[in-house]
Amino acid sequence: MFEEIGSLLMDMLNQTGVVHLWYGNVVMMAVGAIMIYLAIVKKYEPLLLVGIGFACIVSNAPGAGLADPGGLFWYAYQGVALVILPPLIFLGVGAMTDFGPMISNPSLVILGAAAHLGIFVALIGAKMLGFTLGEAGAIGIIGGADGPMAIFVTMKLAPHLLPQISVAAYSYMALMPLIQPPIMKAFTTKKERQIIMKQVRPVSRLEKIVFPMVIAVVVDLLLPGVAPLITMLMLGNLFRECGVVDRLATTAANDLMNIIVITLTVAIGSTMNADTFLTVKTLEIIVLGLIAFGFGTFSGIIGGRVLCWASGGKVNPLVGSAGIASVPIAARVAHVVALKENPYNFLIMHAMGPNLAGVFGTAISGGIMLALIGVK
Amino acid sequence: MIIPDTVEGSILLSVIDFILSFFIIWGIGLVLYAFPLLNKLGSVDEDKLKGGH
Repeated sequence: MFEEIGSLLMDMLNQTGVVHLWYGNVVMMAVGAIMIYLAIVKKYEPLLLVGIGFACIVSNAPGAGLADPGGLFWYAYQGVALVILPPLIFLGVGAMTDFGPMISNPSLVILGAAAHLGIFVALIGAKMLGFTLGEAGAIGIIGGADGPMAIFVTMKLAPHLLPQISVAAYSYMALMPLIQPPIMKAFTTKKERQIIMKQVRPVSRLEKIVFPMVIAVVVDLLLPGVAPLITMLMLGNLFRECGVVDRLATTAANDLMNIIVITLTVAIGSTMNADTFLTVKTLEIIVLGLIAFGFGTFSGIIGGRVLCWASGGKVNPLVGSAGIASVPIAARVAHVVALKENPYNFLIMHAMGPNLAGVFGTAISGGIMLALIGVK
Repeated sequence: MIIPDTVEGSILLSVIDFILSFFIIWGIGLVLYAFPLLNKLGSVDEDKLKGGH
């Protein structure tokens, strides 16, 4: 009798995850807990890190099978695997974004390309470390500071690296207020940082309505590889600007966006299992991502200095650092650094131009990469 | 794969990508320079947009 009960209890114990738990699971649970700590206490990208961190914790509970085929999070991951969620995120981003600052100051648009040197430094560095060209390209895109674009390109070039790349990309985006200012200060003079830029022209409604259609056609024709993202970004923006479908714009920017963020974050978090995440490669990707971010900021600043020189000192070089995407964090960082030098220097709207151009810069870089590496 | 999977390939990819990115972004900038001309075609009445449905 007691033997039978003991045997049944042992069988039951074997069915729990407790006996299958190994130190890797515990480490990953700790990583997830740190993400939640950063989100709640430090307020670093809480919308993303809470979901990713929680899914990371529960997905490392052996036996729960949340991320196994047929598991709850597995279905969420299909939205990433089939590359549906990143374009839908871009729809929401488009519906939330005013491209006026970019339209009104075309001379700063070039900074959207200048600030992407980091992508290529990381790409070459990753290749030298032994990654394949596809993997290196996906790692390089971290430097674009654009989460959905990093996920999109990674799913095309190196889907097995999704957890490392998405976590690195979003973590560094959250840490931009810490990463960028020292580089910005190191490569600009105090006098340059104090430059007050003149007011830009107002942009008409007609221009704002035509903009998404023109850009969608131009980018889709030139770079069909990134057409899903740019198309949805511009559709969302057309919803916002045309003024006759406010309900759709509101839904895309709010409810739909929130649903997609929930699905995307649990999908990413659920891929962070100990077997794939606790490797030297992960460490290399994290370091390369930081290098990509650093070089991106540096090259943007250099681009800003070139424009400052070419304009006879009318452009504040700090706006160059906003040329990496991550709207509006990068623009806000440029604004805050400028304010510290001169409390009357409101740089935010000027920095938004290169910042928005950076979204296109990352998409263009990614699109060219997909085309040259031969990915459909 | 069009570009060889070597370090030289990664350098080649980087150089081509960087230059092409510059040209395409520069092209977008040029298109944006022409945008103020749109205003000569007329203007959109925002009140009519809002009240139209």
